Amino acid sequence: MSAPEPAVPAPRSPLAGVATTGRYGAAGGTPLAIAEIPAAIVQLAARRGRAGDLARAVSGAFGLDLPPPGRAASARGIDAIWIQPDAWLLLAPRGAEGALAAEVKRAAGDAGSVVDQSHGKTLMSLAGAAARRVMAKGCRLDLDAPAFGPGRAAVTQIAQIGCVVHQRDAIPTYGLVVPSSLAIPFFEWLTSSAAEFGYEVG
Amino acid sequence: MTGRAFRIAGGGHIDRSRTVRFRFDGKEHSGHPGDTLASALLAAGVRLVGRSFKYHRPRGIYSAGPEEPNALVEIGTGARRTPNTRMTTAEIHDGLVAESQNRWPSLRFDAMAATSVAARLLPAGFYYKTFMWPASFWEKVYEPMIRRAAGLGRAATEPDPDHYEAAHAHCDVLVVGAGAAGLAAARAAGEAGARVLLAEQDFLLGGGLLLEPAHEAWRGETLAAIIALPNVTVMPRTTVFGYYDHNMLGALERVTDHLATAPDHVPRQRSWTIRAREVVLATGADERLVAFPDNDRPGVMLAGAARAYVARFGVVPGRRVVLFTNNDAAYATADTLLAAGADSATIVDFRPFGTAAAAARARGIEVLPGSEVIGVDGGTSLYAVQVRRRGTWGSTQVPADLLCVSGGYSPAVHLASQARTPLAWDARIAAFVPGEAARQRSAGGARGVFGIGAAAHDGAAAGRAAAIATGCRVGSEFVLPGRNGDADPTVMPCWEIAAPGKAFVDLQNDVTAADIRLARQEGYEHIEHAKRYTTHTMATDQGKIGGLVGAAVLAEARGLPVEQVGIPTYRPYVTPVTWGAVAAHHVGKAFAPIRRTMLHDWHVRNGADFMEAGLWLRPGFYPQKGESPWDSVLREARAVRRAVGICDVSTLGKIDVQGKDAGVFLDRLYMNTFSTLAIGKARYGIMLREDGMVFDDGTTTRLAEDHFFVTTTTANAARVMEHMDLYAQTVWPDLDVQYCSVTDQWASMSIAGPKARSTVARAVAGLDLSNEGLPFMGVADATVAGCPVRVFRISFSGELAYEIATPAGYALAVWEAVLAAGRADGIVPYGVEALGLLRIEKGHVAGSELNGHTTARDLGLDRMAKKRGDFVGRVLAERPGLVDPGRPTFVGIRSVDPKRQVRQGAHLVEPGSFKSLGWVSSVTRSVELGDAWIGLALLTDGKARIGSRLVAAFPLKDEAVEVEIVSPHFIDPENARVRA
Amino acid sequence: MHLIDCPWCGPRDEAEFAYRGDATVTRPAPDAGIDAFYDYVFTRANPRGWHVEWWHHAAGCRQHVKVVRHTMTHAIAATGRATDILEVPAA
Repeated sequence: MSAPEPAVPAPRSPLAGVATTGRYGAAGGTPLAIAEIPAAIVQLAARRGRAGDLARAVSGAFGLDLPPPGRAASARGIDAIWIQPDAWLLLAPRGAEGALAAEVKRAAGDAGSVVDQSHGKTLMSLAGAAARRVMAKGCRLDLDAPAFGPGRAAVTQIAQIGCVVHQRDAIPTYGLVVPSSLAIPFFEWLTSSAAEFGYEVG
Repeated sequence: MTGRAFRIAGGGHIDRSRTVRFRFDGKEHSGHPGDTLASALLAAGVRLVGRSFKYHRPRGIYSAGPEEPNALVEIGTGARRTPNTRMTTAEIHDGLVAESQNRWPSLRFDAMAATSVAARLLPAGFYYKTFMWPASFWEKVYEPMIRRAAGLGRAATEPDPDHYEAAHAHCDVLVVGAGAAGLAAARAAGEAGARVLLAEQDFLLGGGLLLEPAHEAWRGETLAAIIALPNVTVMPRTTVFGYYDHNMLGALERVTDHLATAPDHVPRQRSWTIRAREVVLATGADERLVAFPDNDRPGVMLAGAARAYVARFGVVPGRRVVLFTNNDAAYATADTLLAAGADSATIVDFRPFGTAAAAARARGIEVLPGSEVIGVDGGTSLYAVQVRRRGTWGSTQVPADLLCVSGGYSPAVHLASQARTPLAWDARIAAFVPGEAARQRSAGGARGVFGIGAAAHDGAAAGRAAAIATGCRVGSEFVLPGRNGDADPTVMPCWEIAAPGKAFVDLQNDVTAADIRLARQEGYEHIEHAKRYTTHTMATDQGKIGGLVGAAVLAEARGLPVEQVGIPTYRPYVTPVTWGAVAAHHVGKAFAPIRRTMLHDWHVRNGADFMEAGLWLRPGFYPQKGESPWDSVLREARAVRRAVGICDVSTLGKIDVQGKDAGVFLDRLYMNTFSTLAIGKARYGIMLREDGMVFDDGTTTRLAEDHFFVTTTTANAARVMEHMDLYAQTVWPDLDVQYCSVTDQWASMSIAGPKARSTVARAVAGLDLSNEGLPFMGVADATVAGCPVRVFRISFSGELAYEIATPAGYALAVWEAVLAAGRADGIVPYGVEALGLLRIEKGHVAGSELNGHTTARDLGLDRMAKKRGDFVGRVLAERPGLVDPGRPTFVGIRSVDPKRQVRQGAHLVEPGSFKSLGWVSSVTRSVELGDAWIGLALLTDGKARIGSRLVAAFPLKDEAVEVEIVSPHFIDPENARVRA
Repeated sequence: MHLIDCPWCGPRDEAEFAYRGDATVTRPAPDAGIDAFYDYVFTRANPRGWHVEWWHHAAGCRQHVKVVRHTMTHAIAATGRATDILEVPAA
C-alpha cells in the first residue's frame, strides 16, 4: 500500500526559471551582483518573560548573541536578525530539511517558540557600489551612515512587499528576505531598479 | 517680421557653436543648446504660440519660467505626446516636435476664436447656468461641445512606452531652489557638515544670477565649492512639487526629457520622496501681471522674462518696447533691452516721478510717470500700447512690438503654504511672505528679500541656521555678493487698470477681473468660493502670476484690504507632474505585486485560466480544447463528486501559534473552543469581530499542547494576523503566546472525491489512512515522494478529502506524485470555480456570505458558540438588532426552471412585489442536480420559507427568475461522505 | 506623510503603518454588558487637538504603537509601546 521511501529531493526555488544567471542592464563598469541564496531560515520568539533564558540558550548553543532592535549578529555561519520585540530570524546556509529548526528548538527548549520558515521566506543578496542607489528606488529607509551600516537590519516594505533588509558589509552587500510567494515581483523590482547600473545574476 | 535677427551676438548661457533643430507646428526651427523652446521660438520671431482655454484668444510667451500660463504645447508624437508642457522650461533637443494646442484648424486661423465674440454669453459660472435645459441635452450636446471648445492639449491615447521610477532620499537640509539664496544656503549648510540636497527645477543653477554677468564669477565659484563638497547632492531639473507632513517633500526629476536619445535602462523621469530634517525654501518670487484690457495679447510679457530672454538666452523679444511698472526693479529690463539693440524703450511708471525715473531719463530713456496702460493694439502680434496719465481721460498711442509688465513680485510661497506656514502681509512689496515655521525657513526672494546681494546673505544665514538645527557647527564664512546693486523692492500696489475690455487675472483659465466681481455679486465672496466659481488659480499654473491680482480685485469689490481677503490655499502640485512618474514602477504587471503559489508554473503549463484572489493568482479552471468555461468547471466538479480531484489551496492563510497560553488565546479569538482540542486533531472555527459580525473561518489543528496551526480564508489572512496583534498586544498582553504567518512556508493541496483515499494511499508513505488510522478531522505527518508532508483529513467540497501540506519547495514534487498516484482513479485538477461550485452544493459559507454584514446566527453557525467564557464579539453579537428573528437567514435556492440562470446579488421577492425579503449571495450550476442553477441566499424567515417559491429579481438586467427555497445543504446533510 | 517614531524601529514612514484608531478606550470586562461594549467599539470623542491613537506597524515590527498626535496639525508629541502611558500635552 505504501510507496518506498526515496531520499528528500532538493526543494524548488520560488525564483526557478526567473533568476537566470547572466549579465543584464547597462553595459560597462562593474555590475551589481544579485543572487538568490539558498538558506535555512528559522523564526525564533522568546516565550513570555523568558527572553533572558533564550538569549543564554542561543549563546550557549551557537555562540550567537541575539541582537537588539535594528541590528543583526553573526556567529559560526548563522545570522540572527531582530524582527520584532523578542523575536528574530536566524539564517544559515541551507542544510538538511528542518535541521536548523530542530537544532534551534533543541537549544531553546521551553524558552522559545521556533518556526521553520526556510520555504516561506526567500533570501536574496544585492552587492555593489551602487547598491544603495538601487535600494533607494523602493526602500523608504535612510540607508546612509550613521542611520544604517554594516550589522544593521530593518523590517520594512519595498515595492509594496514586506522585506527584511540586512546590511552585511561596507561594499555594501544587502541581504533581503521576502515572502516566497512574492519573490518573483520582488526580484523583478530589484532587477529593473538595478538595470541602470548593470547587474549580474549569480 | 523684420529681417533683423532676434538673436544677439554674444552673452548669456547658450552655446552658439552648436545648432539644435526642432519642429513647431510642422515648421522646422533651430536654436542652441541652453535654449528653451520659448527662447528658441522667440529667436525665430515666433510670437503667437497658443490659443486660450475658453475664448481661444491668441496668446504669446508671457514668462521665462515654470510660472508660464500661456505657452503650453504638446511635445512629442504618438504614444510619447505630452500635452500642456510649458515652452518656457522645455529644453530643446535635436528632433524635438512640438505642437500648439487648443486651436483648429490652425493657430493663426482658429475657428473657435468666434467664442470671443460670444463671450458675453459665457461669463464665469456659465456651466452652471447656461446648459441646464433641456436635461437630455447635457450628455448629447452640451458636454461634447464644451469638451471640444474648452481644453488644453490632447493626452496620448497609446500606452506610455517610457519607464519611470520612484526614489527616496534623506537629508539634514533640503534646499529648494538654486538661485543666489539657494546656492548660498547649500554652501553654508554643506560647509557646516550637514548632509544637503539642493534641488533646482531649472537645468542651469543660478536662478536670477543667470541674468547678472556681474555676478557670474560668484556663481561659478559657489557652484564649484558646492560640487566639491561630498555631503552635498545637487539635483538639477528637479522640481519640488509638494510639501507634506513631517518634512516630507515630493520632487520630480526630469532625467531624459532633454535628450534626443535617452540611454537604455534610464527612466524618463524619477519621482523623489525626500525626508528632510530641515528645509530651506529658496524658491524665489514670481513677477505679477497687471489686469488691464487685453493684457493677454501676444507681445505682452512680464518684464523680468523679457530681461531673461536677453540676458540668459541672447534673444531680443521686441524692438520697440514699452515697460509698464510699479517698481524700480523692472527698470533694468529697459536698460537690458536697449543694450541688446532695441530701438526704443518707453517706461510707463504707475508711480509719481521718482529717483528711478530721474535716473532713467538721465540715461536717455523716456519715462511717463504717474501713467498706466489701458489697452493694447494688435491681434496675433502687438503694434501699439494705449497709455493714459492716471486720473485723466483719453490716452496716447505708443507704438510698440513688446509690452513688458511688472506689477511687483510675489514670493513663491507655495511650498511654505502647503506646509501650513502662516502667511503675513508685507506692505512694502504688496505680497504675502511666509512667517515662522518649525524645521523650515524661507530665504531670499521666497520671503521677500529681493536683490542678489540681499538674497545671498539671507540664504547663507538660513543655510547655516538649518545646519545648526541639525546639530552641525557653524562652517566657515565665504564671500557673498554685495547688496549695493540691489534695487529698492518697494512697490506701489497696482492690480487693475479700470478701462473697458477684458482684463485677465488668470490667463490660463481665461478669468477676468469682471468675472471675479461677478462671483462676489452672486454671493461667492470668500476667496475660496470666488476661486471655485470663476476657476481663478485653478489652472495648471495655479495662478502664480495673477493669483494675488484676482484676490486684490475681490478685495476691492468687497471694500477690504487684500491681506484680509487672502489668497486661495496652495496645494500640491506646484507644477504639473506626469502620471507616469506618480505610478513609477507600479504599472502593468507590477501595478500590485502578484503572489504566486509554488505550483503556479504547473498551472500555467496545464492551461489554467487564472483569477485574482487578493494579490494571489489562482487557477479558476483548466479549460480543455473546445470547452466553454462552464464545461470545464462542471467537468472538474463532476470528477470530484464521482472520482477524485486535486486543488491547489496554498493561498489559504496559515498561522503558527505557540506558547503556554496559545489555547486560551484562540478560545478568546474564536467563538468556539480550541483549548479542549486533542493533539493531532483539527476543528472548524468561526471568528467574530468585536461588533458581533462574522469575521473569518477556518480549521485549526493542535500539533502539541502549546502549539496550534491556524488556517484562515485567503482573503482575510493579513487581517486575521492584525486582529491577533491587536488583541495580543493591547488587550491581553499578559498571555504567553507567539504566532507568525506560515502561509508561504506550507503549500497545500486538497485531494477530494470518493476515490481520494485510494489516490492518497498510493502517494503517501508511512500513514494508515483507514477511518481508525486517520479519522475525519484527524491530522498526521508522513512523506510523499520522499518529501515531508502533513495530511489533514478535512473537507470543503463535502466529499471524502485530504489536505496535504508540504514545505513549499516540495509542492511540485508532491503534487506530481499525487497526480501520478491518482491516474488510475481518474484524478482531475480542479480550480477555484469548481471549488466554489462544490462548497455551494455542500452549503459551506465563503467570502460572499462572510461579508461583514452577517452574524453566526444568520448563517446557522451559532450553535458553535461556547456557552461560557469571553470571546471577541460575544457581547455585541447579542445586540437586539442582531438577534432579531426577522433578520435574513441562510437558505438554499433552486431555479424552478433548472436552465434559468439566477444571479448573485439578485433580490428575493414575492411575485409582483418590489419588497426585498433577502438576497442571493452565491450561485452556481450544480453537478449533483443535473447542472441546474442553484444558490445560497440570506432570506427573512428563511427556514419557514423552505419549500415555498419566490422570485429572484435582478432589475439591472430586467430579470425575474422563479426559485424554490430549499435547505442550503444540497448534498449529504448527514456528512456521511466526508466520514466515509 | 507622517514620520512615526516606532519605539522599536525608530522613525518610519506612515506607509508602513495601519491606523487602528482610538487608544484611549479599554476593552470592558467580559461581563460589562452590551452598553459598555457598544461604547468601546463605537463611541468616539473625535477630538480636535491631541489624541492618543494606535498605529500598527504592520510592515515593520508588527507592534501596536501608541501615538499622541494632533488631529489638526498632525504633529506627534510622543510615541510609545502598547502598555506605556503617554503624557498628552495640554492644548
